[in-house]
Amino acid sequence: MSFLSPIAFLFAIALPVVVVFYLLKRKRVVRLVPSTVLWQRFLAENQASAPFQKLRRNWLLLLQLLLLLLVVLALARPYFSGTTGEATLQVVILDASASMQATDESPSRFERARKEALTLVDGLKTGMGDGNQQMLLMVAGAAAEVKQSATSEKSALRRALLAAEVTDAPTRLAEALRVAETLTRDKPGAEIHLFSDGAGVDLTEFETKDLRLVYHPVGIRSSNLGIVSLDVKLNPEDPSRRAVFVNVANFSAESAETTLELLFDGQVIESKSVSVAATNSTPVVFAAAQPRNGIFSVRLNSKDDLAADNQASIVSRLPEPIRVLLISRGNRFLERAVAASGPNVEVSTATDLGAATQHADVVILDDVLPQTMPSGNVLAIHVGTTNWFPEGIGSLEAPPVVDWKNTHPLLRFVSLDNVQVASTLAVKTPTWAVSLVDSPSAPLVLAGEFGRQRIVWIGFDTLQSTWPLRISFPIFVANAMEWLNPATARSDLFQIRAGDAFRMPLGEASGHPVEATVTVPSGVVWKLPLGPDAREIVFGETSRQGVYRVNYGTNQVEFCANLLDATESNIAPRRELSLGRHGTVGAARVQRANLEYWRWFALGGLGILMFEWWWFHRRTA
Amino acid sequence: MNALLPPDLLRRLEQLQLLAARRAKSSLKGERRSRARGLSVEFADHRNYVLGDDLRYLDWNLFGRLDKLFLKLYEEERELPLRIFLDCSESMNFGSPSKFDFARRVAAAVGYVALCGFDRVSIQCFPEPGATLQPPEAAARGALRSVRGKTSSLTFFKSLSQLTAGGAADFNASVKRGAMEARQTGAALVLSDFLDPAGYEAGLTALIGRGFQVTAIQILAPEELDPTTFGDLRLVDSESGAETEVTFGKYRMSAYRQSVANYLERLREYCTGRGIRFATVASSTDLGELLLKQLRTAEVWA
Repeated sequence: MSFLSPIAFLFAIALPVVVVFYLLKRKRVVRLVPSTVLWQRFLAENQASAPFQKLRRNWLLLLQLLLLLLVVLALARPYFSGTTGEATLQVVILDASASMQATDESPSRFERARKEALTLVDGLKTGMGDGNQQMLLMVAGAAAEVKQSATSEKSALRRALLAAEVTDAPTRLAEALRVAETLTRDKPGAEIHLFSDGAGVDLTEFETKDLRLVYHPVGIRSSNLGIVSLDVKLNPEDPSRRAVFVNVANFSAESAETTLELLFDGQVIESKSVSVAATNSTPVVFAAAQPRNGIFSVRLNSKDDLAADNQASIVSRLPEPIRVLLISRGNRFLERAVAASGPNVEVSTATDLGAATQHADVVILDDVLPQTMPSGNVLAIHVGTTNWFPEGIGSLEAPPVVDWKNTHPLLRFVSLDNVQVASTLAVKTPTWAVSLVDSPSAPLVLAGEFGRQRIVWIGFDTLQSTWPLRISFPIFVANAMEWLNPATARSDLFQIRAGDAFRMPLGEASGHPVEATVTVPSGVVWKLPLGPDAREIVFGETSRQGVYRVNYGTNQVEFCANLLDATESNIAPRRELSLGRHGTVGAARVQRANLEYWRWFALGGLGILMFEWWWFHRRTA
Repeated sequence: MNALLPPDLLRRLEQLQLLAARRAKSSLKGERRSRARGLSVEFADHRNYVLGDDLRYLDWNLFGRLDKLFLKLYEEERELPLRIFLDCSESMNFGSPSKFDFARRVAAAVGYVALCGFDRVSIQCFPEPGATLQPPEAAARGALRSVRGKTSSLTFFKSLSQLTAGGAADFNASVKRGAMEARQTGAALVLSDFLDPAGYEAGLTALIGRGFQVTAIQILAPEELDPTTFGDLRLVDSESGAETEVTFGKYRMSAYRQSVANYLERLREYCTGRGIRFATVASSTDLGELLLKQLRTAEVWA
């Protein structure tokens, strides 16, 4: 046991004072005795004049001393120190991600973590002098927020903690830790306390950092069945129907059976029973007719620990024809591939960029550098324009293909195993694009958004390579048509992760509304004032999953916020966080907070006081 | 008859006789055997007639047989002077009944026994304040200086009851002076609480040295044996005015008793070591019990 304000022990001076009072109080009764001879003998034999004889059986005094002692102890604020009690600055990070909603702890992991954080707050040393500790509270939910700047005031910290809310968003712990790391850098006495279940935490970037991290894990078991992905596509077998792809993952150690319901605009239209093996996932495909633009939702009817990932929604629009303008000096491979890329593709060919570009959704520039770049989405083949590559364009002979990102939607089912390229434009990957296919010294294929334009850039002339001869070429072109389709881009717009901001550009057609309202899934309506020059609607309060409705002017759009995160749905508690390959952070000790006991001492003091009162009156009554 | 002793006790006391350990040395006639040769019925010895002897005491029978003149000698019976040292100091005023009352009743009883035995009783009260005494008490003290004969017992009792206690006593000096003043030694009875700060040894030694047959009765108040006042006390000595601060509680009672017992034991040892008959009584003791049992056991009388 230690004391937060040991200076209060100065009050212990009052203890002898009480004794002195008792001694001073001793007004001796004067008695006339025949002779003091016997008494003097008695005194000589017993030293009875010693003043403390009187105190020997004085229970009132003992009670008072005990009371005083308890009060002094309470003032000294005793606590049992944990291993982490000495830091001068404690940065508390409270994980508010979706997995913290899991109910394996009672009532939930988040509440449990909050409780533990509160005990940590209770244990904060806020005395005078050197022992003063400060605490800073961050909540890592949809975004990593500092909820309470560094302070010693426990009430403010408690208030901030109680105001924190759990979200449906995936974990942003890395972001929070990055902030915390900068806050604690160069502060020798600083510590980071992470209250989390460890789900979906990637701390590789902190491997080499001096992170004084104390991990307070929560969570008991991993019993969860979750929807980890959802997509709506044209049904390849029946163009009149839509295919809804759902991936259901089971993160518990036992296989699970459940039913999966498909809803369209809130109406159940199909239900399937799903059986998922332990720690496996099962894809489920629904084929459903879609009479109008609307929202497909899927719902898992399972009772598991985490409810946030048991439903997901997606906005689905009826397919619209894509108008593709192919500007080429003649490339039959490309023409055939584009024409075959989808049922709704309408291809028109031109040798030069004319007025027709205005009506094209996608423009393909095949080894042609136009005078003015088209404003729509572009698939550019062997086009070196300094608009896109301000750092200059060189050339490279016979670059080998060394790597490609097959996780990107453009390269889905695309393999570039035996593709040879004669020569390519050598550029540096610009900031707006990511490199999809790499040669050792230059990217071969880039994709990105330049302004509001989606651009796929192929650095080499396809006719100067073996790619058109490979099966991957038409697949890539089909993927590119899908990705460049403005409708796809739009549908991506309406599909966000919980916690991400919703951004929607305001087109010319929408006029200039002065205000937009957003109805969140819980029914609360937010008003967003729009200035006269507003080009887009931005809405950030998307921490809960569900369907959001946006009204602006006369228009109404809906967007969906979903968790759809396998790492987040995997709620297996981690007793240990790994920092990269070598470093780990173990769970903190069970005794992790300085528990203060002054209340108990004060209570005991009160009890003694009342008992003394009763005793005193009993004696004099 | 008197307030000091009840009549039935007096009657029983009349049957008692003070025991004398040795022959009386007094010059006055009495009922005690003495070494002096004189007139009595008790034959003691013969001696040769010398010219001038009273012819009445010649042993004519012996003259007839031996034709020599012998004088018959008889034991002279003398009195046993009893000297009572009565402590009249302030400290004797304490206790219920007061120690002084008890002491003078003992003095009355012993004195009565002595008077009945034709012994002379003299009571010496100490301290002696001298001129400050009230006339009746001074007269009483004077009257108690020498009392003889059973007929004087009434005045003896009356004088005793007129005594009061007060003032500070010097036990040693008073008893020593009394011992020196006595023309004949005899029995001495010391009635005191023996609580003189200066001690009691010098006085008692003086009595012994003068040849007194000493009986000491220590009279203590019940409160002195078992105090009833507790707490933080400032005790004032009634005689010297000395103050002693004592914190006293029931839990220390046994320690106090032990102290008192030690004191009494030392006194008793001192007395028995010098042939002094000794008894300690509380002033609340029944007088009959003391007189008829304890003093008999102590062989003061029989």
